[in-house]
Amino acid sequence: MSKAKSSIVWLQGLTCNGNSHSFLNYSHMESFASSFDMLYHPLLLGDTSFDAILQSDTPFDFLILEGALSRDEDIIRKFGYPFHKVLDELASRARYIICAGSCASFGGIFRLKDEAKITGALFSGKSRGGYWSEKSNVINIPGCPVHPAWLIDTLFLLKREAKVSLDEFLRPKEIFSYLTHHGCLRNEYFEWKVDSKQLGEKEGCLFYEYGCQGPMTHANCNKILWNGVGSKTRAGSPCLGCTEFDFPKMKLYETQTNMSLPQTPFGISKRAYYSLAGIAKSFKIERLERKLIDEKDN
Amino acid sequence: MKKITKEIIERIEGEATLELEWEDAKIHFARIKFFNFRGIENILKDRPVYDAIAITPRVCGICSTSHALTATLAIESCYADFGEPLHVSQKAKDIREITLNVEKIQNHIKWFYFSILPELKKISNPKFTPNAFKDKEWFDAQKTIIESLKLSSIFSGQWPHGSFLMSGGVTCDPLKSDIVQAEHSLHTIISFCESYLYGMHIEEFLDIDSSLQIMVSDSSLKRSIEVMMKHGFDSSGRSYDRFLALGESFLYDHASKCVKTTVLPADIRHVAESLENSFFDKEGKGYTYSKSALYKKNYFEVGPLARLMMAKDPLIRDLHRRFKDSTLTRIVARVCECAHLLQRTRVLLTQLDIGEPSYIKPKSNLNYLTGEGVGIVEASRGTLIHKLSVKNGFIKEYDIITPTVWNLGNGTTENPSIVQKAILGLPSIEKADFIFKSFDVCSVCTTQ
Repeated sequence: MSKAKSSIVWLQGLTCNGNSHSFLNYSHMESFASSFDMLYHPLLLGDTSFDAILQSDTPFDFLILEGALSRDEDIIRKFGYPFHKVLDELASRARYIICAGSCASFGGIFRLKDEAKITGALFSGKSRGGYWSEKSNVINIPGCPVHPAWLIDTLFLLKREAKVSLDEFLRPKEIFSYLTHHGCLRNEYFEWKVDSKQLGEKEGCLFYEYGCQGPMTHANCNKILWNGVGSKTRAGSPCLGCTEFDFPKMKLYETQTNMSLPQTPFGISKRAYYSLAGIAKSFKIERLERKLIDEKDN
Repeated sequence: MKKITKEIIERIEGEATLELEWEDAKIHFARIKFFNFRGIENILKDRPVYDAIAITPRVCGICSTSHALTATLAIESCYADFGEPLHVSQKAKDIREITLNVEKIQNHIKWFYFSILPELKKISNPKFTPNAFKDKEWFDAQKTIIESLKLSSIFSGQWPHGSFLMSGGVTCDPLKSDIVQAEHSLHTIISFCESYLYGMHIEEFLDIDSSLQIMVSDSSLKRSIEVMMKHGFDSSGRSYDRFLALGESFLYDHASKCVKTTVLPADIRHVAESLENSFFDKEGKGYTYSKSALYKKNYFEVGPLARLMMAKDPLIRDLHRRFKDSTLTRIVARVCECAHLLQRTRVLLTQLDIGEPSYIKPKSNLNYLTGEGVGIVEASRGTLIHKLSVKNGFIKEYDIITPTVWNLGNGTTENPSIVQKAILGLPSIEKADFIFKSFDVCSVCTTQ
């Protein structure tokens, strides 16, 4: 499947279209289009009608799923058919099933409406077993929305028959072994435990008061950036943990504490974290208490 | 002879089914069906109030900033109801407006180049099958859209679903050099629009007071008008000629309605939602997940055409004189609004005073916040309303009225909704499909 163009069918479940719009932000679309045929995408005009694809029995390479899934016909129908008929038919002909975004991966926000009936493809939140109980060709690329490069880089790797290692939630390790915390411009404030005094400022860490999930969230947002320039933390807003199975948690803008202590960063023991935090907090670092750019110095 | 057909409308935001009743080969009535209910209003119940700022953008990927802003304003209005009117700095207001404008700019360009132009190519040549990935114009427009959203993300961190809004201001704190970068992006967007969309400088375009002046330009807008005139879209697609814009805009002074050409003040208190014909209707006769929104029991059109009618924009008023609220007028209005937004955003970036605070923290303890609030924003497709009631910092009720609910409600044969009226009497589904798309339909918003 390396030389010829690979073929894609993009199917939407219960969705806000956010992943489609994020896909449209991909900055090398002509290069993408020279390697992939989009047989069907709900927002793009193509040569083939959806019905023609559905009625044919030709296999294709990638089925991209956007949105939460359900077998219940009262919850979702597609082009006049029960959704599960469409999805089961297309899934049987796809070489890979790629879940673009947290809804297709884990159920996401819309799963909260009815957790028994609305799920991701292979997961319902943290639990294995979603729309399908098992399937060997599913890859999850969560995020609310998915970053276009996460999706398209993975498609290119699969097209080249490269091995794409996955973590326990079937996420590509090259992307999701990083934490949002990596590359955050507020890292030094985190190291020295200097809280953000209030929102709307460049200074301070958002982990202690404002619910930032950066140290616990698997994603390389602050490595590759969004729309070429930004990330939530760079816009002064806490990471909402949108690539994780439990998105959205309750109280997204408030740090949840246990005995007034915040959750520890991913893979760091409480003993290690709280010991170091206690020491760091015992020092007052003058420079970090000041404004980053003090106009009065001029 | 009567018959009923079902047509699926694709390549809109989401998907809709039109069930058409034909009589003597003309559309006699249309039922519009949306199946994709997600229940966001229910999901928000009993959640902490600020969660609404993160969750409501997920109503709609293409207008996520509009939803986040409307939620933010609704919570600010709730603080006022609680006894603490919040002060929001001019800087925060300007950043909110810049990101909202940019969201509309990308929306209008996306809609025109990804939907309207390819549809018109098909209408001109029914044998032609447009393919986005084989079309240079599509890629050029896509690059411009990317630039628009880059401009947004300098402030919003990302698009879609950036979270930079908070009751009391914004969370971002841009540098002077960030503003320079934003101005470069805006320059790139304006260059594209001047070269291809308008065929002239935006200042010249905004000075136009007669539609004839567009026809001497070399532009995609001119070419689209020619096709629309040739295929009768200057006389079809008319609705009630009643418009509404309840949110603030630089285009006009205050919330207004416009009946034909008369502009009068309007008030949100006259807005009512109808569940008639929806699955929420207790009588069980419903056929769609879309609700309908009414103003003084009447259907009103919302969106760029409505806003420019309020603004008494000379070009749109000229088109309206000639073609009333036809498909042609509606489509040119959306393109015209894009020019206003580009010019306005340029001014806002120039005057942005980063010395002011981005955010002023409310004094009240959030855990006691109790009251009711309403937020209104003019989103790409028209008036967007969020209403909520809060008790001790938690959401009790949340109600969302989206622009598409105004334009694409489901009325009756006697009292059809805006779009239902616009497609009555048409001889073909192809025409109905295009007129439907002239409203820039968003089914995901409608069935939130």
